[in-house]
Amino acid sequence: MSENLERRRFLKCLGASSLIIAPLGCSSVKEEESSNKPHYVMVFDQNKCIGCGDCKDACNKTNNLPEGKSRLLLEQQSGGVAGEICPHCGKTECDCERKYVRVSCQQCKNAPCVTVCPTGAAHRDEKTGIVTMDASKCAGCKYCIGACPYDARFINKETDVADNCDFCLNTKLSKGELPACVESCRHDALIFGDANDPTSYVSKLLRVKDSVRMKPGFGTEPSLRYIPIVKVGV
Amino acid sequence: MDGSIEFTMGLSQGIAWPWPIAVYLFFAGISGGALSIALFIRFFKKQTTNTPFLKAACLTSLVTISLGMICLVFDLTNPLFFWRILVFYNLNSVMSVGVLALNAYIPLVALITLFAMEDEIKRIPALSFLLPIIEKLRCLRSPAEKAVLVLAMSVCAYTGFLISALIRFPIINTSVLPALFVASGLSAGAAVAKMVAVGVFKEELHSPDMKVLHGAEWPIMAAEILFIFMLAMSLFSGNAGMQSAFAAFHTGNWAGVFWIGVVGIGFVAPLLLNFATSKAFSHSAKALYMSGMCAVVGMMCLRLFILYAGQNFAV
Repeated sequence: MSENLERRRFLKCLGASSLIIAPLGCSSVKEEESSNKPHYVMVFDQNKCIGCGDCKDACNKTNNLPEGKSRLLLEQQSGGVAGEICPHCGKTECDCERKYVRVSCQQCKNAPCVTVCPTGAAHRDEKTGIVTMDASKCAGCKYCIGACPYDARFINKETDVADNCDFCLNTKLSKGELPACVESCRHDALIFGDANDPTSYVSKLLRVKDSVRMKPGFGTEPSLRYIPIVKVGV
Repeated sequence: MDGSIEFTMGLSQGIAWPWPIAVYLFFAGISGGALSIALFIRFFKKQTTNTPFLKAACLTSLVTISLGMICLVFDLTNPLFFWRILVFYNLNSVMSVGVLALNAYIPLVALITLFAMEDEIKRIPALSFLLPIIEKLRCLRSPAEKAVLVLAMSVCAYTGFLISALIRFPIINTSVLPALFVASGLSAGAAVAKMVAVGVFKEELHSPDMKVLHGAEWPIMAAEILFIFMLAMSLFSGNAGMQSAFAAFHTGNWAGVFWIGVVGIGFVAPLLLNFATSKAFSHSAKALYMSGMCAVVGMMCLRLFILYAGQNFAV
């Protein structure tokens, strides 16, 4: 008898406690809220870039960068420019297709520069989640430059603090405009927008196009995505 | 490494951390190493007097950490922005944690140096203003020494953690680096403190303290060799990026620094000086200074090699 009673009590307790615990488990769906936050991404389409450099000029002008410095570079990967050696085949005259790659801050979701910065100068903007600089806090220790797996940060010689591409956060985005490079690209090689907004052009594009991230092995989860030229053979 | 797209150029144009950082790592290692060894001996042997070796280690430690701080500040892009590191903190950053440790370490080292050098301070009339301070703070001596022992080891290890956080460089981004820096800091710190103890504070060459130190040197050196071997082997057997970084050990100028500086001067020379020479020579003051200098040069070469070869062989 007593054994039965014990079992009954045990089952009662089990039922009651599951009633209490189950809603606790369900209430941990707060992540929905944070995913309403924007996740700004940029897509570089290698098929469309012709290497004109308009993006770079627009960036320098908008962000008041000193002469000879830029937040983004274009690396020519193959194809001859008159008088220069093709980086792919090594000849001065070749039939290699011209290929360019945008080199700039990859806007990592898991950014080593932010982790490593001793003063919090390299930080993530609260509203937009964009990695940007608080120039008034930067001590110029260059820890972020060494920590960046993409070598995409530099010292701005005019301000003596570290600098990186922040999608024109303070110069354009805050006014509701597109980043200067995206605006200036005549060939639509750069696409910018909020990937968390399913109706945005960029999220539609990412749904249908294959894109890659640079050096995914570092696990930094860059927000800059690349659509490579994938033509193979003849 | 076979991604469909990749870029190879960068925006920083050159090495982020140049030689002053290597010199800073060197000085911080000596400072922490010298004091750790001296305090180990003090606690282990329950010493209460100010031994020549303790005085030497305190003085060495204070001077080297100050020089290290100078290197650190002048490596900043704008040294006038130095205060920002002291005002703003990010506890996720190894550097920030290190700054907190140094903020406690430097004043405490200065304090225990005051206690250790009390007799010398009494002899110099210009420094007599320090005596009342020593008198007032005397009760803090024992806790300060214990705290400094922990902090000294932390400072040694921190220099390794500081740079091992740089994930782009396979030679630097290894977990063995802090251990290697502690070991090499201990050996070079002990060597410098020994030379100062004999040269400045007239320690006898074969006092009991010196005997303990001589005995401790070889196991520490063995640990150092083991850690370097571990570092090299992990690169040799690692992924493609690590394997390409292994080339740092056999190509380029920094391979020369490694084999001549670290292995030749740092390890082989002291061994030869002690075991391949006559007993009369190896027990002389000359041999002590020579092998001490070898340890110091070897350690400096190690930091330079790790920092430069490390940054040159990025993934």
